[in-house]
Amino acid sequence: MLVFLLVAGISHAFAQTRTVTGKVTSSEDGSGVPGVTVFVKGTTTGTVTDLDGNYSFDVPPEARTLVFSFIGMRTQEVEIAGRSNINVTMETDVVALDELVVTAFGISRERKSLGYAVQDVDNEAIARTSNSDLLGALQGKIAGVDIKPSSGMPGASSQFQIRGARSFTGNNTPLYVVDGMPISSEPAYSTLNSVTGADISNRAIDINPNDIESIEVLKGQAASALYGIRASNGVIIITTKSGKSNQIGRPVVSISHSSSFDQVSRTPDYQTTWAQGTGGNYVPTSSMSWGPRIVDLPDDPNHGGNNFDRPGYFRVPQLELAGLDPWVLPKVYNNWDDYYQTGYTMSNNINVSQATNEGHFSLGFSNTEQTGIALNTGMTRYNVRANAERNLNDNFKVGFSANYSTVDIDKLSGANDGSLTGILAAPSSYNLAGIPYHRPGEPTRQIYFRGGSFDNPYWVPDNNTFNENTNRFFGNAYINYKAILDHSKTLNVRYQAGADTYTTHLQDIFGYGSRGNSRGVIDNYGKTNSIFNSLLTASLDWKITDDLDFNVMVGNELNHENTKEYEETGQNFNFPGWNHIGNASVVSANEAQWQRRIVGFFGSFSLSWRSMLFLNATGRNDIVSTMPTDNRSFFYPSVSLSFVASELNALRDIDWLSYAKIRASYAEVGQAGTYYDNFFVSPTYSGGFWIGNPIQYPIGGISAYIPSYSLYDPNLKPQNTKSYEIGIDLKFLDNRLGIDYTFSNQNVTDQIFPVPLAGSTGSGTLVMNGGAITTDVHEIMLYTTPVRTRDFRWDININYTKLTNMVDELAPGVESIFLGGFVTPQVRAGIGNTFPVIYGTSFVRDDAGNIVVVDDPGAWNHGFPQAGDPDVIGEASPDFILNGTTAFTYKSLSLSTVFEWKNGGQMYSGSNGLLDLYGMSAVTEDRESTFIYEGVKPDGTPNDIVRGGPNDPRAIERLYADVLSNVDEYYIHDNSFVKLREISLRYQLPRNIYKTATAGISLYARNILLWTELRNLDPETSQGNTNMGGSFERFSLPQTTSYGFTLDITF
Amino acid sequence: MRKLLNILLSGVLVIGIWSCSKEVMDDINKNVNDPTDVASNLIITDVMTRTAFTITGSDLAFYSSVYIEHNVGIWNQSYNAEIRSGEPVSATTYNNSWNSMYRNLADLRLIIVKCSEGGSEEGNFHTLGIAQALNAYTLAILTDLMGDVPWSEALQPGVIFTPTLDSQEAIYAEILQLVDAAIGNLGQSTVFPPLGGQDFIYGGDTEKWLKFAHGLKARYLMRLSHKSPAYADVIASANQSFSSSAEECKFLYNGSTTYSPFYRFFTDRDYFGASQSLADKLEERSDPRDTIFWKAHPASDGFEFAPNGSPVQVQGRYSISAISTPTAPTYLLSYHEIEFLKAEAHVRLGDLGAAKTALKNAISAAFQKVNIGLAAAAADDYFDNVVSSRFDSNPLAEVMNQKYIAFFEEEAIEAYNDYRRLSAMGDNVIELANPLNSSQFPWRFTYGASDVTTNENVRSAYGDGTYVFSERVWWAGGTR
Repeated sequence: MLVFLLVAGISHAFAQTRTVTGKVTSSEDGSGVPGVTVFVKGTTTGTVTDLDGNYSFDVPPEARTLVFSFIGMRTQEVEIAGRSNINVTMETDVVALDELVVTAFGISRERKSLGYAVQDVDNEAIARTSNSDLLGALQGKIAGVDIKPSSGMPGASSQFQIRGARSFTGNNTPLYVVDGMPISSEPAYSTLNSVTGADISNRAIDINPNDIESIEVLKGQAASALYGIRASNGVIIITTKSGKSNQIGRPVVSISHSSSFDQVSRTPDYQTTWAQGTGGNYVPTSSMSWGPRIVDLPDDPNHGGNNFDRPGYFRVPQLELAGLDPWVLPKVYNNWDDYYQTGYTMSNNINVSQATNEGHFSLGFSNTEQTGIALNTGMTRYNVRANAERNLNDNFKVGFSANYSTVDIDKLSGANDGSLTGILAAPSSYNLAGIPYHRPGEPTRQIYFRGGSFDNPYWVPDNNTFNENTNRFFGNAYINYKAILDHSKTLNVRYQAGADTYTTHLQDIFGYGSRGNSRGVIDNYGKTNSIFNSLLTASLDWKITDDLDFNVMVGNELNHENTKEYEETGQNFNFPGWNHIGNASVVSANEAQWQRRIVGFFGSFSLSWRSMLFLNATGRNDIVSTMPTDNRSFFYPSVSLSFVASELNALRDIDWLSYAKIRASYAEVGQAGTYYDNFFVSPTYSGGFWIGNPIQYPIGGISAYIPSYSLYDPNLKPQNTKSYEIGIDLKFLDNRLGIDYTFSNQNVTDQIFPVPLAGSTGSGTLVMNGGAITTDVHEIMLYTTPVRTRDFRWDININYTKLTNMVDELAPGVESIFLGGFVTPQVRAGIGNTFPVIYGTSFVRDDAGNIVVVDDPGAWNHGFPQAGDPDVIGEASPDFILNGTTAFTYKSLSLSTVFEWKNGGQMYSGSNGLLDLYGMSAVTEDRESTFIYEGVKPDGTPNDIVRGGPNDPRAIERLYADVLSNVDEYYIHDNSFVKLREISLRYQLPRNIYKTATAGISLYARNILLWTELRNLDPETSQGNTNMGGSFERFSLPQTTSYGFTLDITF
Repeated sequence: MRKLLNILLSGVLVIGIWSCSKEVMDDINKNVNDPTDVASNLIITDVMTRTAFTITGSDLAFYSSVYIEHNVGIWNQSYNAEIRSGEPVSATTYNNSWNSMYRNLADLRLIIVKCSEGGSEEGNFHTLGIAQALNAYTLAILTDLMGDVPWSEALQPGVIFTPTLDSQEAIYAEILQLVDAAIGNLGQSTVFPPLGGQDFIYGGDTEKWLKFAHGLKARYLMRLSHKSPAYADVIASANQSFSSSAEECKFLYNGSTTYSPFYRFFTDRDYFGASQSLADKLEERSDPRDTIFWKAHPASDGFEFAPNGSPVQVQGRYSISAISTPTAPTYLLSYHEIEFLKAEAHVRLGDLGAAKTALKNAISAAFQKVNIGLAAAAADDYFDNVVSSRFDSNPLAEVMNQKYIAFFEEEAIEAYNDYRRLSAMGDNVIELANPLNSSQFPWRFTYGASDVTTNENVRSAYGDGTYVFSERVWWAGGTR
């Protein structure tokens, strides 16, 4: 097939030709423009202008028209008309005025007709730095959107919210629509409390960013209302690469390769003076570093060589266990830097596409291989993609889009199962990388510097497994009928059927010899999720008069989802070396099947008058299977208005104002809940102090069933989001400066969530309506081209988002809702707070907010602060996010950067707390000076109690290890940051490297942390793939900084 | 082609409308994965497991164990409890246990309703009686530790969101009624088959459950001694209870699908060190159990007791319990406790001879606990050479200290209850060593956070949590 297409394309080259020459100049200063593509319309025959703007090439005799195109300039078509010298003056085109944008159900509209904000991101912006993760590639590029990555682990989940959250514990992820087909993007499994196990990817990871032609983001409810109940969180419309925009003729092949090298983005500042131990003594099994000075280790009474005829040495019992000489010289190790390796990511993409008069097609193949910075982490992904469209006759058109992906991810666990906790806070005196991690000949018997349930990080890769393997297909086929009824009316009918199905298998194994589960545990689980989608739409365009256009559309959509899950868990392997369910001595299994269906009937109409006034209204009725029988059907309307003021005669004459538009919209969209009749479950005993399941039914063949701790309210109704949005779009100075401003308000009422019940009611949660959340968002988009000369051009795009997400109301009596974490600290939604907040033990403070210290001379905690009541101790949401891109283009060289400034917001940093508790952070370096803890005494006077110094040697240790470590508020940190998300330098070879072949090379870097308020760690490191994401960090895998290059060839 | 289009369109519309009919949608949303109702015998099974493992056996026992100095908290939450930092006053400390107790009570109420008049298993008197006894048992642990708690308005999810608190006095009256009702029902005959294997504790032996109910009555009457002493009734009830450890109410673990909670607390957390003050009490008595109770930590080569109240926060250094075995049972009510109750009641009534006999029986049973494994002869030697003379010089002190030692380590909650009752009665015969006790002995446990955050009645009773250091529960001389 491919060979045939290539041959067919090349066959154009044989006919008699003649030469056309000329010069392309700029309308601004008359200078020559280099790099302009010149080709014969309808073919791929063409060339590129040289440095002075001159061109010359052979054109076939049948050639009629030449096309001149250059990014940032208006494309021109010039009739050849027998001429052999054609000079062209090109005009700049900063912002295409009559730009078409894709709205709901693939309806194309002029941007100026929209009464709501949409924003698009094109392929170049997505693929510029070859980020293998789509959400990562979108960071910093869209206003009103917050993308919070969880870590730098390959395949790590991200939180993606448009205009804040609408649901406390439920889904806030936008609907993804790929080539007209809605697909699932949420993780297959929630990480729940997110304090055990490994992260679980979003299913957006299945999409290869390089396959994407463009992304349209429908932010507001008015934009997405036609999609009904699934679209209250906005819609991401993804169009994959097709041959549609190709020039008709020869197939185009593009190949690219990208390699990047990933490094841990930040190394904590460690103290390098003090050895492992407690109370100033060397304790070789201690997790802490409150021991003696490292240089004084040889003096230790029990392990110091000065007392055992080995002057200058000290004894490390772990080396003894390893059968090695235990006497070593004191030395300082940086166990963090020793552990993390340079990760490597490689991606290769091949794309073949062609457009003909009958249609077009595109085929793509790509693979991504990623090796993480932590041992045994990585991702392998293959994507295959095909789409095609063919015109059957004047009326009928058929086509399809198909995508297949296979993704395999090796992960590590975080938080209380933290694989890398030992790396984070290993004593500087302990050579973690150098001392063997298991006993000689006994690979499952660990050697480690500390007790407790954490495994030695070097032991983990060979013994513990956290793996995700997913195969997925999604795609659709369609038939489109278009008829011109008369000179003013056009009918369009389209039927599309599609499927999105994936099977994911996850495996969590703590191997034989794991310290929390001495004989190991295994958990194999997975699901097959299939969505069938049927969509029928019919629309009529009617040009009523020259000034008045009318469009009406009706449609029906059926979305049916089938899920089957399985889980098999095993405990206690019979013998080491085979961590498999077949080797588990206790095995239990379960399965579950679910179905959901949404059937929607919808319609819209729009009126436009003189390209000036546009009115659009939509309505949709959804019938949802997951709601109680009598509460299944809901109707949602939207209306929007756009007024292009610059079309008014009065404004047309103002030179400096090129465009002005005012828009307003109102919409209501619901979100359905999941209702079941109350049921019984088999009891489980995990959580709390337990690792795994200390009690596992059936017990000796006996089972038991108890009422589920989650109940359902039979009067459940859908939650409702009412939103309005107003905005203004202005362009000045011949479109060189533009500003879009949008204010939106969302009012979500009747929130559906599992309302936490008082334990004394005998149950845990009741899924019911209750609670309200409002969101006010200010979005500003600013774009300008401050410099524009013949060779040089500078563009700036800036997005500003200020979002206030307030929880107004929860269910009766409920003060807060748990989102994740521990009992304390936890992430929760609380009345009167922004969403979400961090809750935990606070400091005892006086009415003025000062920390009150203990005044009890002689007490160990004299002069120290104390743990007080649990309270809201941190707010996660930022004051504002400012991000954007700036690009410099000089001839064929372009430099672009994406930056982001997040200002305000806080997070819980368990890792920072641990570094202090264990005496490993640099702030614990000085243990000999006296200090006064900042605060007041109980009588209100400033604290003047001096602690520390030679007579109070343990004061610092007791402050950090026994006081501050018990105050969750101490673990709260501001996490404002400024990041250079992307920087890339691209050189497009000015001449074809061979015949029609063009090539380019890019150098890039990603995630360069410039400044942050958070100490020791990258602020974009956290636990969980749920709504708690971004606010709770505890031994999470660190973030990475990447450096790489891309080579691409197109011919 | 247009005809084809018309057929396609009308077909899609018909399917579209049919596909969302009520019947079709109901069928789609049917939960095929879980039962919507089960019989009482399948529910009561897990009530027993949860009572043993979660309520009696774990968190509440772990914290009691620290406060009562059976163990020393040397790491994390247990260490915080040891140094009275945060944990004793926090609403989150006992939240999991709080929820489990009410969940137990809710499941028991469901069983009681099913087996009572008008229920689907009306006339299932034995299951009803067992449920009432276990109801009294859970409710007593709840109020013993937390004082006034929601009860009469509790257990109505979705109906009453914020139950009010009932006084401990009223709850105790109900506990005794439940025990009497259990005794009545367990004595009736029934056509329902016995629980058999669904009864993990007694295999469906109703006689033993009846003895359990009588034993509970003895325990709760003794509990109220500071308020309303009834020692003769204690003895009368105890006499109708267990006559040997073969009859005692304990939950056994198999070490593969079920594990003893103290064992798992070590393997999963490793938060305890061996208690210096308990070791001192054994040493003072040359008690042969001192070589059995403890062992060196596997990561340490030496033997070291942790000082009460001031251990170093380090794992792998202090010695640990040697009786936290994978199969160490959880005692809901032990035979030795029954004998200790008799011994104390006889001492209180001045019948020292009977007291001594009961004490000897109790010590003998405690020596022969499965994870102690001493012979009856060793117990007799110990009693004759050590205990007897100590008893003669201070009968109450020796009975209560022997009970305290015998309760190591699975029966920590009951040891904590005894300590608070004795203190209220002015009998400070058990000496604790934690220096922080002078101002910071936790006289009670805090309410669970699930109520403190959602139920204003409990929230106001909780305040800032510091009441645990000052206010005793009603039966220990407090007001609530």
